[in-house]
Amino acid sequence: MNMQQADPIKMDYLDPANALNMPEMADMTFAMDFLSRVKEGVRNLSVALTESVSPDLRALLRTQLRQGIALHQEISELMIRKKWFHPYGLKEQFQLDMLSLQNTLEISKQRFFPDDTSRKGMFDRTPDAHMGGSEA
Amino acid sequence: MDQQQLLAAHEAIDLHEIINFKTLGLAKSKLMQGLVFDQELRALMEKDVQQTQQAIAELQAVYAKAPFHAPVPEFRPTPILN
Repeated sequence: MNMQQADPIKMDYLDPANALNMPEMADMTFAMDFLSRVKEGVRNLSVALTESVSPDLRALLRTQLRQGIALHQEISELMIRKKWFHPYGLKEQFQLDMLSLQNTLEISKQRFFPDDTSRKGMFDRTPDAHMGGSEA
Repeated sequence: MDQQQLLAAHEAIDLHEIINFKTLGLAKSKLMQGLVFDQELRALMEKDVQQTQQAIAELQAVYAKAPFHAPVPEFRPTPILN
């Protein structure tokens, strides 16, 4: 297994220096992902709601849309309180954006996984083995 | 199977998109809980899991009225391509 860096950076992923502020950086990233997922969900539900005609479905989608809006508010309030999100301080937001993009770019340049990640040989059988799925 | 009970085609297609979006979101909110450090953030993700489980169950019941509904086999009907 060849784990050499193609493009060496200052530190590798085993360097304990990378653990500095790591939990905060990671949580900020997960929260941002969560927020944008819920936000996308609100938009998707509104689109579906304006396409639907059946009263049952409309009622369901409306309830879920309200839930999504409420959850979006909860996540953004948490992120603002934790200083992960600065909707009123665009300079701070700009700084956070830049720091997380730099950090993520550095992470993306590292080699975490072996060259061959096909682990199918580790499985006894696959769900479609009975119909020759592996020969497809 | 009277025609009135079936969803309109455009509704059913949008429902298909919502259901897949929610299914992926459920998996992500569940798995992410093993990665987050902040317990308040984790609690919100767990809330999302609970709400999404409920949402999917409700949508699933309506999806059965899609005009293209079919009996669900035990295994996927077409092999997974390599």
